[in-house]
Amino acid sequence: MNLFQFCNGIIVWLVELVNNLWYWLGDVLPWYFGDFFTGIGDFAGSHGHIVVMTIVLESLMVIIVALINVLNFIWLDRKLSGRIFDFYGPYYVGYRIGGWLQNLADGMKLFVKEIIVPAKADKLGFLLAPVIFVGSSFLILATIPLSPNFGIATNESGEFVTAGVLFAFAAFAIAPFSILLAGWSSNNKFTLIGGMRSAAQMMSYEIPLLLTVASVVLLAGSFSFVGIVDAQHDIWFAIPLFIGLVVFLVCIAAEVEVTPFDLPEAEAELVEGWTTEYSGMRFGLFMMTSYLRGYAGGALATALFLGGWQGPSLIPDEIWFLIKAYTVFVVIEWMRWSLPRVRVDQILELGWKRLLPLAVLNLLIAATFKTMGWFSG
Amino acid sequence: MAEMWINMGPQHPMTHGLWNLRVKVDGETIVDAEPEVGYLHRGIEKICENRTYPQIIPLADRLCYGSSLTWSHLYCMTVEDLMGVEVPERAEYIRVVTLEMQRLASHLMWLAAYAVDLGMMAGFIYSMRDREVLVDLLQSLSGSRLTYNYPRIGGVAHDLPPNWDREALRACNYIETRLKEYEDLYEGSKIFMMRNVDVGLLTKEDALDLGVTGPPLRASGVRYDMRKDRPYSVYSDLDFEVCSRPEGDCFARYRVRIDEMWESCKIIRQAIQRMPKGKWRTVAPRNAPVGTGLGRVEDPRGEGMMYVVGDGSDKPYRLKIRSPIFITVSAAPSMLVGYKMADVVAIMGGLDMCIGECDR
Amino acid sequence: MVRERGKVSFFGYVVRPMMRTGRQFVRSLILGRPNTVLYPHEKLVLPQVYRGKHTLDFKKCIGCGNCLNICPNECMWLEKIEDPELGKIERPGVDLGRCLFCGFCAEVCPTVALHLTTEFELADRERESFVLSPKDIRDDAFASTFKEERQSRKLPYLDLSKCTSCEKCAEECPEMCIAMMPIEKVDKKKPEINLAKCTSCEKCITACPENALVSTEVYESYFETPEPRLLLSKCTGCSACARACPTDAIYMMEMPGSEKTLKDGKKGKPKKRAVFVFEKCVGCGRCFKACKFGAIEMPGVKK
Repeated sequence: MNLFQFCNGIIVWLVELVNNLWYWLGDVLPWYFGDFFTGIGDFAGSHGHIVVMTIVLESLMVIIVALINVLNFIWLDRKLSGRIFDFYGPYYVGYRIGGWLQNLADGMKLFVKEIIVPAKADKLGFLLAPVIFVGSSFLILATIPLSPNFGIATNESGEFVTAGVLFAFAAFAIAPFSILLAGWSSNNKFTLIGGMRSAAQMMSYEIPLLLTVASVVLLAGSFSFVGIVDAQHDIWFAIPLFIGLVVFLVCIAAEVEVTPFDLPEAEAELVEGWTTEYSGMRFGLFMMTSYLRGYAGGALATALFLGGWQGPSLIPDEIWFLIKAYTVFVVIEWMRWSLPRVRVDQILELGWKRLLPLAVLNLLIAATFKTMGWFSG
Repeated sequence: MAEMWINMGPQHPMTHGLWNLRVKVDGETIVDAEPEVGYLHRGIEKICENRTYPQIIPLADRLCYGSSLTWSHLYCMTVEDLMGVEVPERAEYIRVVTLEMQRLASHLMWLAAYAVDLGMMAGFIYSMRDREVLVDLLQSLSGSRLTYNYPRIGGVAHDLPPNWDREALRACNYIETRLKEYEDLYEGSKIFMMRNVDVGLLTKEDALDLGVTGPPLRASGVRYDMRKDRPYSVYSDLDFEVCSRPEGDCFARYRVRIDEMWESCKIIRQAIQRMPKGKWRTVAPRNAPVGTGLGRVEDPRGEGMMYVVGDGSDKPYRLKIRSPIFITVSAAPSMLVGYKMADVVAIMGGLDMCIGECDR
Repeated sequence: MVRERGKVSFFGYVVRPMMRTGRQFVRSLILGRPNTVLYPHEKLVLPQVYRGKHTLDFKKCIGCGNCLNICPNECMWLEKIEDPELGKIERPGVDLGRCLFCGFCAEVCPTVALHLTTEFELADRERESFVLSPKDIRDDAFASTFKEERQSRKLPYLDLSKCTSCEKCAEECPEMCIAMMPIEKVDKKKPEINLAKCTSCEKCITACPENALVSTEVYESYFETPEPRLLLSKCTGCSACARACPTDAIYMMEMPGSEKTLKDGKKGKPKKRAVFVFEKCVGCGRCFKACKFGAIEMPGVKK
């Protein structure tokens, strides 16, 4: 049973439950009211309504899973960085579960804080930027399945859309625009420089990133996540395309803005970068979303290189997928806490002079493997 | 892109204090720079004129939060010069040990701030953690963690507690092993080297002309250290080297400070070994004679100097403080111009700004 | 020690720093505990010299006010209180909101009554709660648990009212540190003891027939204290200074030959003058402040 069928069952059950009420009302009330309620019942029981509601429920479930993962990620990051830095990390709030509730407490604190819009800011852009940032980041998750049975963007029989990878990376690349928008509309020199840096940085990492993805797609012969993961049944792509994995991880680190590449919010020189003027829950949304993007990055690396949900069938596929995604995230965070930040000209140099040749080399290797006929798909 | 002025400060993560660096940027490249100090001016020199001689010691501690002991020691040294007080030899050795510990603590704090300037949180936390060892030692000696109030006119406040010298030696070993470990994070890291090598060049001539002292001067290839060139206290009896490098960039400044930490460990070991027994404090006169006193020390940040004029009463007539950072910061424009915006933090972090003593 | 610059191995890009932090991770998660202290539940053991909240031993304190004089921030004051045990006394209070915790007050205390404890959790919501009256900082048991660093010695202290100028103490002293000094306008001599030379042999105490010399425990002081000087011509003999002196170092003595002849021809009572016993003086300047006639000079003390 896949997610669509599961949600469909729930919706059908719910609709039947509620329709009983509508039809009962249609029976007991006089005709001029009764027909109205019977009409509502007919509409609710129609195929189109049930499909739409199923999709809404599906999206809700994916978002809830993503948010719980984000909470886990923030907790994991804090605990991990705590032990790396020789202290405990969150400890007292949720003492029995290792301080897990600290994030909720912080979120509550951010909720009650005042949201300040600077007097000279461009209000529309200032308020729109978080929406675009959060929305586009949730869009990434739309096509990433946790297993063949758990994912949205499928048809009714559970077949995924064929161009899922393209959509995920397209949604991933929207964020720099919202960063630039936030930086510019804040009317602050630091945020402006931060936004500009984000745009410049995107130039350097996006091309090698997509080239490595192209190599994976080439080997798998499919643009859909299910096809790519199925192609890794015998061997993970991380082994033939090791260079590609390294380039991909570096570019994902740049994409989710963790420390060696967090130039747009370089806290030492640009106070807090493009988020300087944001306060309260808007800042909280930015922070949460950056971890959400970390989750998405880990999930993408898992699906493209680490064999997705494939593993011994002792534990469910979804858990395998999450374990791998968490591992990638931990490695990225580990790198984040132990490296200094590069300069803006150095990241361009790194992207164009080091990563791009490596990505092209990687593509060459993939093409070689493909022509040798070692990977069929 | 048009050029624009950016105020980095007075409240900015780069400043480590309260000062303003106005930089004119063309895109990301710095065209012009202009440091502004004076936000933290407390009028310490004037306050000193209304306080008796012992009462100024805790005030001199407040000159610099990074190395408060150096400044109270400098003050005591100056007043001893004015009053002609003989300091017992044991007190001098205790002072040297504590001063070198303070230098280690100050350099470690600088290293922490420098790491976080470059965005490396691990370096920050590790350095601050290892500084704790020294701060704990100084706390068990003097009774306070930041403003020690330890030197007195004519000695030091307390004798060494039992076993303190052994713990100090152990702390030296600990710091040395940690310094070796830091190599992985700092100069073993390619990104750190990318950010530091050939950044913020300060030529020897510029450094001499602008009156830069301390590690920035030694990193520009001038072997100038108050401890060797004009030995005070018992430094002339101790064997150590003046660390210097010829390059004059940020990495040289980093390396000079790290080398100085090794030398400090060496000095602490020697001083503890040679420490005589005896008195650690003498009675200081209440009133100073008419005359002047002068003290010059090698602060962790450069050459610190105090000049005091006594008028026969129990309060100084005038106290003048020469702060190393106030003079070093004037070299900022000549170091900054031509580099990127992100290099500002590396260059200014490499100077080890301390605004307390700069603005006084 | 001097390394070649610019040469970083290939692993320096990511691997070497990550190995360092990873080793620390293993060290603090698996091999041991993190370095931090879980503060409200665990507390660090602070050394005895730590400078925290003040504590005052009422029985040792003599209310001299030396702590007030040395305080750089002028955060202490003397408060007159009625104690059921000690009667009418003056004891210092402290305003922790102004205190900079330099510890000079404890260092200068002549009877080691004032100490700084290791109590450091002093935060509060009200500013008034930082103003601690003497009763708030009273702790008579603390001084006995505190190991003094300042050395003490037993010194003979003179009770001038009992002294008969018999010079036996000066004859007995093996160090020749007691000199009989004549008191001006009073035809008596008082023994002046050179405390620097005294070896605490206590022979003078046993020699004294009147028990005028009392062996007292004195703590060394590193602060040079100002000494009061009497201008005899201005002294009216009002004995305000003797009442003010916290250490009873001032005695009022009659000056023979200064009696005024009254109207009926009889001679009145002789005029009195203040006599200082400098060994007991702690330099607090209270006599100087108490004198309304300007008869006592004390350089460097504000009235």
